[in-house]
Amino acid sequence: MMPPVLEFKDVSVSVKVGEAEVALLRKVSFEVGKGRILGLAGESGAGKSMIGRVISGLLPDNLRFSGGEVRFQGQTLTGRLARSFLGRRIAFIPQEPLSALNPVYTIRQQMYEHMKHQGLPRAQWESYCIERLLEVGLPDPADLLGRYPHQLSGGQCQRVLIAMAFSGDPELIVADEPTTALDVVTQAQIVRLLRGVQRKHGTAVILITHDLRLAAHVCDEVAVLYAGDVVERGPARSVLDAPSHPYSWSLKMATPSLEGEQYVLPTLAELMPGLKDMVSLVGCRFARRCPTRNAECESRLPRLEPVAEGHYVSCGGQCRTAAGSRKTEPHVLPAPKNALGRPLLELRDVSMTYHGQGRRRGQVFHALRPMSLSIAPGELVGVVGESGSGKSTLARLIVGLLEPTGGSVHVEGVARRGASGIQAAQMRETVQMVFQDPDSALNPRRTVEALVTQALEIRRDIPLAERGRIAQRLMGQVGMALDALGRFPSQLSGGQKQRVNIARALCVTPRLLVADEIVSGLDVSVQALIMNLLLELNRELGIAVVFISHDLSVIRYLCQRVLVMRHGEVVEQGETESVFGNPQHPYTRLLIGSVPPDDADAVWPAPDGSEEGIVSSEQVLECQS
Amino acid sequence: MGNVAHLLGRKLITACAMALLLSVVVFIVLRMIPSDPLAMMLPPSATQADIDIVRKELGLDGSIFQQYVVWLGHALQGDLGRSIFFRESVVSLLLTALPPTLELVLVSLVMALLISIPGGVLLYKLERRRGEMLADFVLVFLLSVPSFLWGIILIVVFGVIFPILPFMGRLDPEFSVNAITGFALIDTVLQGEWRAWLDAFSHLILPAFALALSFSPIIVRVLRSSLLDTATAQYVNVARLRGQSEWRVLVHHMFKNAALPTLTLIGVQFGFLFGGTLLIEVIFSFPGIGNLMVQAIKNFDLPLIQGVALVFCLMVLVVNFCIDGLYAVLDPRLRTS
Amino acid sequence: MTTTTMKYAGARSGLARLCSHPKVVIGGVMVLIFLLVALLAPWLAPNDPNAQDLLATLLPPAWSEGGLAQYPLGTDALGRCVLSRLIFGSRIALLVAVVAATGTMLLGTVLAILAGYLRGWFDRSISFIVMLWMAFPPVVFSMMLMVGLGTGVSNVILAVILVDWTRFYRVVRAEVLVARQREYVHAARLLGFSHLRIMLREVLPGVAPIVITLFSLEMGVAIVVEAILSFVGLSVPSNVVAWGVMLADGRDQIYQAGWNLMAPVVGIVFAVLAFNLLSDGLRVVLDPRLRKRGSE
Repeated sequence: MMPPVLEFKDVSVSVKVGEAEVALLRKVSFEVGKGRILGLAGESGAGKSMIGRVISGLLPDNLRFSGGEVRFQGQTLTGRLARSFLGRRIAFIPQEPLSALNPVYTIRQQMYEHMKHQGLPRAQWESYCIERLLEVGLPDPADLLGRYPHQLSGGQCQRVLIAMAFSGDPELIVADEPTTALDVVTQAQIVRLLRGVQRKHGTAVILITHDLRLAAHVCDEVAVLYAGDVVERGPARSVLDAPSHPYSWSLKMATPSLEGEQYVLPTLAELMPGLKDMVSLVGCRFARRCPTRNAECESRLPRLEPVAEGHYVSCGGQCRTAAGSRKTEPHVLPAPKNALGRPLLELRDVSMTYHGQGRRRGQVFHALRPMSLSIAPGELVGVVGESGSGKSTLARLIVGLLEPTGGSVHVEGVARRGASGIQAAQMRETVQMVFQDPDSALNPRRTVEALVTQALEIRRDIPLAERGRIAQRLMGQVGMALDALGRFPSQLSGGQKQRVNIARALCVTPRLLVADEIVSGLDVSVQALIMNLLLELNRELGIAVVFISHDLSVIRYLCQRVLVMRHGEVVEQGETESVFGNPQHPYTRLLIGSVPPDDADAVWPAPDGSEEGIVSSEQVLECQS
Repeated sequence: MGNVAHLLGRKLITACAMALLLSVVVFIVLRMIPSDPLAMMLPPSATQADIDIVRKELGLDGSIFQQYVVWLGHALQGDLGRSIFFRESVVSLLLTALPPTLELVLVSLVMALLISIPGGVLLYKLERRRGEMLADFVLVFLLSVPSFLWGIILIVVFGVIFPILPFMGRLDPEFSVNAITGFALIDTVLQGEWRAWLDAFSHLILPAFALALSFSPIIVRVLRSSLLDTATAQYVNVARLRGQSEWRVLVHHMFKNAALPTLTLIGVQFGFLFGGTLLIEVIFSFPGIGNLMVQAIKNFDLPLIQGVALVFCLMVLVVNFCIDGLYAVLDPRLRTS
Repeated sequence: MTTTTMKYAGARSGLARLCSHPKVVIGGVMVLIFLLVALLAPWLAPNDPNAQDLLATLLPPAWSEGGLAQYPLGTDALGRCVLSRLIFGSRIALLVAVVAATGTMLLGTVLAILAGYLRGWFDRSISFIVMLWMAFPPVVFSMMLMVGLGTGVSNVILAVILVDWTRFYRVVRAEVLVARQREYVHAARLLGFSHLRIMLREVLPGVAPIVITLFSLEMGVAIVVEAILSFVGLSVPSNVVAWGVMLADGRDQIYQAGWNLMAPVVGIVFAVLAFNLLSDGLRVVLDPRLRKRGSE
C-alpha cells in the first residue's frame, strides 16, 4: 500500500513560558492520503496554523519541535527538507488574498518568479501561466497578467494564488483559511474551484478552517483541534453528523442552522486556554469548560480512541456516547408583535446619495436607494447583505450619524430633522448603536468603568457614587465579572470588548439597539454568547434590535423579520422563516445557496457552471435568472 | 503612462504657483525690518542724497505691493537686482555660486546613500539580536550631532590632528580651471586635468562627509522601520512559503516596498540638507550659495538675501518634484486609478 | 489568525513603566544634569564668564602643560575661562529650548487638532500654508526671519516657533485624522458630546504621547538652531555667552587652541543627545499598542 502523502505521528511543538515549557501542539496525529482532502477545524488559538508552520519548516526561533515525527511520502520531514520542498512539492494557499501578492509587481512578474523557482524553461513561462489562469476560471488571462494586485478583486487574487499553488503539480497543498477574508458568495465559488482543481490534479490537500460545516462538505476527513490537541478525527460526514467529543458537538451547535428546527445555542463558560493557562493543564484541556467532565478528565492525558469506522475521539468513557445525542432546548423567537400604536422607528422613503466633488463632479453614487421601514417596540429585525450593499449606511441613518439626502427618519413619531435640543437628546437615548470593531469602538485610554458610564459624563445631575453603581449594574446585565471594571480594553478578549460595547450602549436605557456586524470576527462560541445576550435583553428589557450581518444563519437565529440588501437596494424583505425558507429574489437564493448546509448528505457547493470562468455574483445571477 | 504625465503636469503647475507665493513670503518677511534698512546698508558717511538714490534704486519708495510688482517684473526678465555689498548683479553671483553647492550636495547625497542603505539593512538584521542596543545608541548619538558640528570635528581630526585632507575652499591655489559648467569635477575632466580633479575631489570630501554624516542616520532609521513594517506583510511570508530564498525576499520583495516611505522622508529632509550647506560652506570657506547667504545676511544685503532665499526654495521644490516623479514610477498604485 | 503572543507585559504603574526603558532613564538623567548645570551656573562656574584676563590668553586645559588650575579647561583669545563660558552658555540653550519648544508645541498642536478634527476649509488653508512653509530650508528661513525681526534671544525663540511649528502640526494632524475615524468618536457623538468635548476628552489624550515625544525632540532642535544663529552672530548680544558664539570664536584659533572648540561641541552634543534619547525612549514607552493583554 502506498504511504500517505503526509503523516503526523504524535507531533509536539513547545514554547517556553517563563520557567515552564508549554506544548502548543500536543501529540498531534493525522494522515492525508493521495488525492484526499483533510480538514483541520478549530477556533483561533487551537494550533491549526502551527501545523502549517511545522509542515513548511518555518517555525519561529523560540518554538521547539519537542516530539513525534512528520513523514512526507514515507520520508522523515525535517525542517530543512521541508523548506527545500516549498513551492515545488509542497505548496500553500494563504488566507488574505489581497495582501498576499506584492503590490509593486505585476501578476506576470510574480508568476514568472515562481516559474523560475520551479525550474521551468523561460520560453514556456508565458504559455504556462495562461494555462494555469484559465484552469482557475479567470477569463482573459493575458490581460490579467499585466495587472497589479490592487486592480483585482479578492476573489480574483485568490484564484491567482490557487493557480500558483497548483502549478508544478505539488504533492501536497496546505490551504490556510483560504476563504475567510472573502464574502459569502465568492467563498462558495472558491471552494468549488478548489475542489475541482484538486480532483483534476489528484493533489492531497489540507484545508484549515474554523467553519466545521464547510469542512464537512468539502473534505474527505476532518480533524477537530482544541488548544493544541486533536480531539476528534474521522470521515467528514461522520464527524458532522455525529460529533462525539463535547467540544466538536458544541462547535457544531454554536453555529445556528439555516434550515430545519432551531436549538438554543449552547454557551460554554470561560475561553480556550491561552499559553499561560496551558502550563497548569495536564489532562484534557477542554475539561474546565466541559459540561460532562468527570474526576479523571483533568489529570489524565486523553488518547484518541475509535468510536466508529475510522472515527476517533479523545475523551473519557461516558462523555462520548452522551454527547452525540444530546440537544439543547428548541429555540423559538417570540412572534412579531402587531404594529399596535406608534412604531418605535420609521424610515419614510429614506435615501442616501453622494455627489462627486472636484475631479469627480457629475458622478453620482447611490449608497442607499429610497426605502421605507417601520420598527415596532421590541421587534427583532435583521439586515443581511455583503460589503457595499448599503447596510452600514442604513445603520448610520437609523442611529442619526448620517442625515438622509432624501426622505425622513422618525423616532417615536417625531421627525429627527428639525427636532429641538431636548427632543434630539431624547432621541439619542432612545436609539443607540453597538459598533462593529471593538478595537476601534473603545477608547484605549479609558478604563472599562469610564467607558460604560461615558454617557453620564454630560449628565450633571448624577453624582459619582451613583455612577459606580450604574457601572456595576451594566456589567451584570451583560454578564461580565465586576473585576473587569478597572481594566483597559487592551487587556480584554474580543468577546469581552464586545460586551463592554453593548453595556455602554445600554447605559442610556435605549429602546432600540442597532448592532452593526458585532459578531463577525469573533469565535463561534463567543458569537453564541453575544447572540443569547441580545435575546435576553430583548426578553427582559423589551429592547428592539436591528441586527446587521452578512451571516444568514445568525440572522435566522436572532431576527423575526429580515431585509436583504444589495447595491444599496432592498431586494427582498419579510418574515425570516418565509424569506429564507422560500426565497423569491435570485440574489437571496444565491446567498442562501452559498452557505454550507447542515445536512451532511447535501451536495455543496452546488455546481453552477463556474468551472467555465464565471467570476462574479453578477454573472452567476445572469446565469440563473 | 498617460496617468503619470497628467499627475506630474498638475504637480508642476502647483510647484510654479508655490514658487510665486514663496517669493511673496520672502519679500514680506524681509520687509518686516523694524529699523531703517538703508541706515544699516550704507556707510555712516552717506549723505541724504546718497540715501535717496539707493532708496530709489532699491525701489523702497513705494508701498510693499508696488515694490513687489516691480521686483517681480524684473525677476521674470531674469534680473534679480544688484547686490549692495558686492556691487554685482545678483543673478551673476548666483550663477557662480550655485554649481559648487550643487556639487557638494550631490556628492554628499551619494555618500549618505552609500552609508545609510547598508546601514539600514544591517540595523534591520540586528533586530532582537545582541548588537541592536549598541547600534541603536550609536545611531541616536549620530543623530544628535548637527552637520556644522561634524564639520568642525572633521576639521579638527582630519585637518589639524592628522592633516591628511584639505579643508579650505574648493581647490588649492596652484590649480586653476576654466569654469565651463561650474562643476569642478566635470570641468577638470573636460580639460583633462587629472591632478586638478583629484584636488577638487579631496577638497569635497570633508564638507560632503560632514553633510552626509548628518543626513545618514535619518535615512537609516526610516529604512530600518520600513523594512520592519514590510517584514510583517503577508506577501513576504507568502513569498517565503513559495520557496523563495531569504536573500531574494529581502532584496526583491521587501526593498522596493520599504523604499517608498524612505523616499518620502528623504524628500522631506532635503530641506535640512540644503540648510546644512549654509554653515558647512562658511566653516570650510566653500564658495557656494550657502556662504553667499551668510555673507548677505551679515551685510543686510537685501536683494542678495532675497535672491539666494528664492534659489533655495526653488531647489527644494525641484527636489520634491523629482521625488514625486520617482514615487510614481516605483509605486504602481499611483499610476493606475 | 492570531499568532500566539509570547510576551506578557502586565499593567504596571505609570512611573515604573516609564522608567523601564533604558533610553528614558539615561536620557532623563542627562536632561537632569543639563538642567542642574544651567540653573546652578553661578555656583558651579569657577570664574566670571565675561571676565577677561589678557595676560592668560589661550591657555590649555589645567591637566596639560602650561595650564592653570584656576582655568580648568583653559582660556580663549581674550583670556576668558572656557569652562565658565561653557556652563553659562547652557543657560541660553536651556532658555531657548524650553520656551521655543513650548511655543511650537502649543501652536502646532492646537492648529493640528482643530484642522484634523474639523476639516473643511480651515484644514485645507492651514495645510496649504504648511506646504509653503516646508519649502523653506529651516535654517534659511530662520536666518531670514532674524533679518526681518532683528537680533536677540527672544527673536531667536520667536523664529524657532515660527519655523518649526509645522513639525508638530504634520505629525499631530496625522494622528488626529486616524483618531477621528475611530468608532469611539462616533460613539461619543451618539451620546450627544459636543465637538469641543470630544476634542478635549477623546482626541487630545490620544495624541498626548506623540506630543510629549515631539516636545523632547523639539528642545534638541531649538538648541541646535540657537547655536547656528549665535555662530553667525544673529543671536545673543556680545556680552552674553552662548555655545554658538564660543564655536565662532574658537574657529579662529583652531590650530593653537583646539580645546576651545571641543568644549562647546561637547556641550551641544550632550544636550541634544539627552533630549533625543529621552524622546526616543518616551516614544516606545508611551505607545499604547505595546501594552499587551494580561493573562486572559
